[in-house]
Amino acid sequence: MEFNIINPVSVKELLGAVKKEKHFRFGAGCTDLLMELRKKPDEGLTVINLAQVKDNSFTGIKKSAKGIRMGAMFTAHQIVMNEELKKTFPVLHDSAHNLASTQIRQVATVGGNLCTASPSGDIACALVALRADCELLNTTQKTRMVNISTFFTGVRQTALKPNEVLYGITIPANHKNTKNNYSGFIKVGTRRSMECSVVSLAYHIQVNVEGKILKAGVAIGASAPTVRLAESACKFLIGKTFKNITQKEKEEFADKVLSYASPITDIRATAWYRKEVLYNISKSIFE
Amino acid sequence: MLPKNYLQKKFEKMKPKLKVIGTSVPKQDAGTRVTGKAIYGHDIKLPGMLHGAILRTEHPSAIIESIDTSAARKLEGVYCVITADDVDVNNIGYKRDHPILKKGEANCTRDEIAAVAAQTKEIAKQALKLIKVKYKVRKGIYDVQEALKEQAPQINKFISGKFSNKNIAETFHYEHGNLEEEKKKSAHIVTRLFTLPRMTHACMATSNVTASYNTLDKKLLLYSSTQVPFLYQRDMAHALKMNPSDIRVIQPIIGGGFGSKLDIHPFEPICALLSIKTGKPVQILYSREEEFIASPIRQPMEIELTAGVDKDGNFTFREINIVKDNGAYTSWGATTPFVIMQSFSSLYKLKACRFNATAVYTNNVFAGSFRGYGNPQATFALERVIDLLADKLGMDKAEIRLKNANEKGEVTGQGLHYDTCGHKDCLETVIKKSKYHSFRNTNNGALRNTNKNESTNNGSRFKKGIGLASMLHVGGGAKIYRSDGCGTTIKIDPYGYCTIITGSNEIGQGSETVLAMMASEELGIDLKKIKVINTDTDVKPWDVGVHASRTSFVAGNSLLGAIKILKEKLNKKAGELLKSDNTAYEYENGNIYPLRNTNKNESTNTENKASKLTKEIANTDSYIRNDSDFVKLDKVVREMHFTEPNELAVANFFYEPSSKFQDKDFKGNVSGSYAFAAQAIEVEVDTYTGNVKVTDIYVAQDVGKVLNPLLLGGQIEGGILQGVGYALTEELLMHEGKILNPNFHNYKMLTAADIPNIHFFPIETNDKEGPYGAKGVGEAPLIPTAAAIANAVCNALGLEVIDLPITPEKVMKALASKNTETIQTKNK
Ligand SMILES: Cc1cc2nc3c(=O)[nH]c(=O)nc-3n(C[C@H](O)[C@H](O)[C@H](O)COP(=O)(O)OP(=O)(O)OC[C@H]3O[C@@H](n4cnc5c(N)ncnc54)[C@H](O)[C@@H]3O)c2cc1C
Repeated sequence: MEFNIINPVSVKELLGAVKKEKHFRFGAGCTDLLMELRKKPDEGLTVINLAQVKDNSFTGIKKSAKGIRMGAMFTAHQIVMNEELKKTFPVLHDSAHNLASTQIRQVATVGGNLCTASPSGDIACALVALRADCELLNTTQKTRMVNISTFFTGVRQTALKPNEVLYGITIPANHKNTKNNYSGFIKVGTRRSMECSVVSLAYHIQVNVEGKILKAGVAIGASAPTVRLAESACKFLIGKTFKNITQKEKEEFADKVLSYASPITDIRATAWYRKEVLYNISKSIFE
Repeated sequence: MLPKNYLQKKFEKMKPKLKVIGTSVPKQDAGTRVTGKAIYGHDIKLPGMLHGAILRTEHPSAIIESIDTSAARKLEGVYCVITADDVDVNNIGYKRDHPILKKGEANCTRDEIAAVAAQTKEIAKQALKLIKVKYKVRKGIYDVQEALKEQAPQINKFISGKFSNKNIAETFHYEHGNLEEEKKKSAHIVTRLFTLPRMTHACMATSNVTASYNTLDKKLLLYSSTQVPFLYQRDMAHALKMNPSDIRVIQPIIGGGFGSKLDIHPFEPICALLSIKTGKPVQILYSREEEFIASPIRQPMEIELTAGVDKDGNFTFREINIVKDNGAYTSWGATTPFVIMQSFSSLYKLKACRFNATAVYTNNVFAGSFRGYGNPQATFALERVIDLLADKLGMDKAEIRLKNANEKGEVTGQGLHYDTCGHKDCLETVIKKSKYHSFRNTNNGALRNTNKNESTNNGSRFKKGIGLASMLHVGGGAKIYRSDGCGTTIKIDPYGYCTIITGSNEIGQGSETVLAMMASEELGIDLKKIKVINTDTDVKPWDVGVHASRTSFVAGNSLLGAIKILKEKLNKKAGELLKSDNTAYEYENGNIYPLRNTNKNESTNTENKASKLTKEIANTDSYIRNDSDFVKLDKVVREMHFTEPNELAVANFFYEPSSKFQDKDFKGNVSGSYAFAAQAIEVEVDTYTGNVKVTDIYVAQDVGKVLNPLLLGGQIEGGILQGVGYALTEELLMHEGKILNPNFHNYKMLTAADIPNIHFFPIETNDKEGPYGAKGVGEAPLIPTAAAIANAVCNALGLEVIDLPITPEKVMKALASKNTETIQTKNK
């Protein structure tokens, strides 16, 4: 595995490098990139290292009326340690907490998790359930917003253009009338750490004081070519009272979630298993 | 996790006379290891050293039509390329059926076709790519039943064909008692066929060797992580057609053995050959992927077990037929039936046993030895069937075990002598500590889904269960070679420091620490002043190697024998210097104290019932020590060395255990002592995902005597986690001879986060053969774990487990198909 590496220290230098380099990849925490290059060496490659770029909007976190914005370089560890995120978006906290191991979480970034566009990306799954927006910055210093539902275009494919870098992710604020939301991340695998999701389910269900569901986001991981938002399952929940969901409704909900799944059989699990389990854990949200 | 000081309390009660033995001394090299200063084989760099790499076959079964190495030889930086045609060597392996480099055909995905030595690793790798091999791919045989068919081709051409079938590599037959008679007496008989998976050691340090051949004196120096340096030296010499004494084996720090380094593997003589050819040192290091592909595994096997019980719950007979997938070559793994038959013949009292095992060649990867040596497989089958027999009888599963448990003084059908035996104690301890009987369902008969905890799980997504299993293993070495002994040289220098030169070696298990503790205990020398030399075959005396949980037992006894001789010399000199005619002395704080006998009738008493070799501490009732009446140990040594008759403070001892070679019917007392253990394991099965969570493990083990609680705890924890992996997650997956998951990502070895609560209760039976009464402990913790987990899962779900690992997918499949109440998916 051999490559050239350049280390821009500012956004300006970064965009300059993007403009100049013909054959390059970004490296953030490099926890995916190095594995990929090891499997498939890429001759003449230049890695543009994002880790030295000093820019708060790229590395930090900021709260506004609209929601919470994380820079693309925000790490899984930082997500885990952030109290505001833990309180407001438990699904995101859980997903980051379940990612890999303590060591990997120190360097793995939210931007890397999205841009690698793995169907089993855990943080990606949570952000889909949260209906986040991706902020893409191009070499002319212009940004465009892409909703996460259209960010993933296929297995390991995204809406990023060759002259763009993912700059930040904004999670819309919770509905102002909500209280005690139901939010969590269910990861299924064999080990308790260093495990890649065999199936995952992210849910962020916002309820009002009476427990009536106002907004819902439910996403599935490792069950389709990309992480997917189970929109019809989300709609199905609106207006229902969380605690009064009947057995029949639970099953209907789980069926709707399952309709978004088209899993594969691989070394880690069969498609049959993935569907069976996805159905069960969908129901389990209400148990 | 083990509770802090979990053993200390026990010791306070015992009012120990021992000061060092029984305390938690950390591993001597712990600091070196955790600070990264340890020198592993990978860290060795010799001047002018080249890097070796091996080209393996592309196809698990193929005719090799031609090998063209010309382009590789021309590559700049390449010093040497070898194929089978370039070397004059013997086959390796327990049956000498394994060519080091393969010629004419490939029979296994690991097969070594060519090897390269080059200036850098990168050049070596590049050179491998330039070697052109023409294969004619064959279908291959990956199933033992296929291999046994008449029309199957012969897979290994190097065997004599002494068996009925051309693809049989080895057979074992054993029996005792009258089987037909016992069958008639049986009220219930159960037959089951169990399938066991391939598990790999996954040592943290990948395989490595550095060879340095001296072209002038024709001697070969090897830095190797073998577990058995002297057997290795002999095998290497045979392979290379050299004189064993011209080969010197040095062991750097070893990053994991677990049995994987018992066999010699082709990469090792290959590395030596590259060094011989180039006249330069050569190093071969495996990548992690190579480690998964080309290092040994736990032998996969099918075990058919039929067992009976009489109406009162006494075990009557067992009949066992085992077919093992030998892979393409025969390793030590093929001899695991030695140990397997012990468990079947002698774990729990048994009147009759008939045992057959056959190892069959296939084009799969071959096994090696692995901690437990077949015993985890045997114990899984046996303990599963015991649960089934109890169910048939309507008998309590704890009761049936206690009723049949082995006893002290028993001589088993196979001729094992249980001079001490903690079997019942172990079972009773885990039954009590786990509150087994309040956990277990009390509804008569129907032992499913109805334990007390379940009622609290409304909706019953999570099912709890508890399982029991016990085990028997050699605890005092195993006489499988002409000598199961170990030599020791001990010396004390004029400054009062002690050096132990032991034949035994350290592969991470902590034996050198325990040896230093014994010397400290007996000689009153501070641990910091004790050095253990154990890495060089040119220096150290004979020892058969690290296996069979034998090192503390055998090397410990050997050391104690040497100390006894040395003390006689020291006592004599001390007596002269103190102008005393005492025969009893106490060694403490670097001093020697004469002891005055106050009771003339009392003979010198040895510590408890413990070994004849250990400390002859005076009985405090009859001996008195005067604290101001002593001579310094270093002074005694100086006087020995520097005054006439000028004697060295050195002693040698060779210890050979009392065990016997078994006869041709596999009968005889094969070990110096026997270890027993029992585990009670609680699980919680998630019926939504099929995940089995092991919550609590209660383990009681007859260790003879606790020598070092901390190191013992390490063996227990590590062993158990390996056992949990065997039960639930670890499997090297193969398809048509190729390994599908050669990485930690998909080979699911458990992590620290997966450790269940481990409650450990050592049982001390003080075996008179062991050092201070100790027995071997290293393998036992993993042996009953998978069995107990399987029993717990069956208890939780009311299903039957017939193969390992119990993966979530298998559990879900079993739950989904209510008709077939077995957890098994052979066709993945
Ligand atoms: C042992 C191990 C365990 C793992 N376990 C998990 C797990 O449990 N769950 C999980 O979801 N993932 C897991 N992963 C995958 C990985 O750690 C995560 O996906 C992580 O979030 C990737 O972040 P990174 O910063 O390391 O990405 P990198 O490897 O640096 O980048 C990944 C990809 O994204 C691109 N990229 C990175 N940042 C940007 C950017 N700002 N703009 C445009 N493109 C960008 C890179 O070019 C590359 O193609 C694991 C990986 C390993 C090695």
